Amino acid sequence: MAVVFALPVGALLMRSASDPVWGLQNFRSLWEEPVYASLIRNTVQISLATTIGCILLAYPFAHVMATQPRLTRLLTLVVLIPFWSSILVRSFAWMVLLQNNGIINESLLWLGVIGQPLELIFNRTGVLIGMVHVLLPFVVFPLYGSIRAMDPALMPAAACLGAGPVRAFLRVQLPLTLPGLATGAVLVFVMALGFFITPALLGGRRDAVIARMIQLQVSQLGDWGMAATLSLVLLVATLLLLGASQLLVRSPARRVAE
Amino acid sequence: MSQTSHDSHRIGRRSLLAGGATLFAARAAHAQKRFEGQRITYVSWGGAYQDGQKKAYCDPFSEATGLRIDQDGPTDYAKLRLMVGSGRVVWDVVDVGAAFMHGAEQQNLFEKLDYSVIDRSRIDPRYVTECGVGNIVFSYNLAYSTERFTADNHPRVWADFWDLQRFPGKRMLNASAPSTIEVALLADGVAPDKLYPLDIPRALRKLDQIKDNILWWETNSQSQQILVSGAATMGMINNGRVYDSVQKGAKLALSWEQAIQSVDYLVIPRGSRNIAAATALIDYVTRPEPQAEFANLMVFSPTNREAFRLIRPELQEWLATNPAYADKVVLQDGLYWRDNLDAVNRRWTAWRLT
Repeated sequence: MAVVFALPVGALLMRSASDPVWGLQNFRSLWEEPVYASLIRNTVQISLATTIGCILLAYPFAHVMATQPRLTRLLTLVVLIPFWSSILVRSFAWMVLLQNNGIINESLLWLGVIGQPLELIFNRTGVLIGMVHVLLPFVVFPLYGSIRAMDPALMPAAACLGAGPVRAFLRVQLPLTLPGLATGAVLVFVMALGFFITPALLGGRRDAVIARMIQLQVSQLGDWGMAATLSLVLLVATLLLLGASQLLVRSPARRVAE
Repeated sequence: MSQTSHDSHRIGRRSLLAGGATLFAARAAHAQKRFEGQRITYVSWGGAYQDGQKKAYCDPFSEATGLRIDQDGPTDYAKLRLMVGSGRVVWDVVDVGAAFMHGAEQQNLFEKLDYSVIDRSRIDPRYVTECGVGNIVFSYNLAYSTERFTADNHPRVWADFWDLQRFPGKRMLNASAPSTIEVALLADGVAPDKLYPLDIPRALRKLDQIKDNILWWETNSQSQQILVSGAATMGMINNGRVYDSVQKGAKLALSWEQAIQSVDYLVIPRGSRNIAAATALIDYVTRPEPQAEFANLMVFSPTNREAFRLIRPELQEWLATNPAYADKVVLQDGLYWRDNLDAVNRRWTAWRLT
């Protein structure tokens, strides 16, 4: 692990201080050029929103998957089939669905639900729809595992003791499935930080992200130093957030377990 | 490219290909199969584009010289840099874009070409450098929907593109700075010969005027999709993509006024172990026959003017180097972008985020 992973990553990150010459020039331009901070802020916002979207959609989905054995196989396929197709193909498919004269807008107009086409694409909405779609399985499967692992007698027991469904969910099921939820959420968040194809194809002018800049630095400009600097920032931000989420998740889960 | 549109021309294409190959074989008769037993790797952008180059450039050359040409791709500038840097060069001839070509040439990433072997007089001198020979020219044109605009009242120049009153509807532009900055300045009245060095703040102010009406494309297929679907009524788009769309039934037309022209070059990465064969292949590509063959297949314009006599007449109006457009189109300055891409891109991205 140390040799095949840490060494090359370390060597790349080293370039942030050594390329083109030794020194802090890359970090200085990171500080002096406000565009980098804006890109990082954008990236974190998009990743957070994607994570929240994934959780909201994945929880009911995984719940049905885990508690209705007859639907399990079908629902698994529904999540997995798009998971196996190329990200580019999926982005183009969303374009066809979401554009102003796409299927969704045309149907809603025809039904009279809306009078004007909704702006669903080439903006933040489009980016989030595309990214949630791509990353959804990463929350669904850990959550499914957690819900399955729960003792099925617990929820009826809570009801017997007088807890309403909301209260039983919040006090029993949610804390018990929190580890699965957290695993999924962290996976999604970390992967979302590195996305650039979906934001590029489904986003608008303001949806630029840091990974796209890194890609440009490496492929077009050959500026490994600046690319390494931006990667280092992304890595540090990720590690900090991971650490924080570990702290947050541990305490309530432990409380229920004890 | 649609398969059917090519099938109907298969006979013409085949006989042309055979004709070119025979001509070449006859000339090279004294050096019969001079690269027999050797092999090189040809690298280009993949997909139909590279398939076309394989058919037009590589196959006839292999047949005539016995050289085996392996295809690899797509062109990846980071990979090319790493290969040259580490001395393990497995690519021999690579199709690269202009801005990269000029930058990498300056950074000594390519072999200097041997112009005693390559006949550079065949190519327009604007498309030849110390290390690169232009093999195709493409352009970014103003294309518009013929359903939304009539034959006598349609956007023609970039100033029309900015005129939201006369020509309403969404517009589409390239999401990266090169060529988008140029068209903004042309729209603002900068003369084509005064374009470089680009006045970036002026271009961004001009873009501010219409920025809420622009859809941005990141890839060529996306640009095609946005125009064909009608999401935008006009846009800046690669000339070949409009040809392809029209063949497939799209109601689009393009203007040649102020089209921005750019060049792809063939280069040999420094450290290639097959320089002689690679150089001979590049020389072959400067001939009219392979250039015409590629234009017939993919509608990318030749850098050798002689090729036009071998290109199907109905395709000629779609080609960027057509002599009829010579005083309308603007050649993009690769040297400017070599020196300024990094700085402009940072300002460009900052502007996009506002």
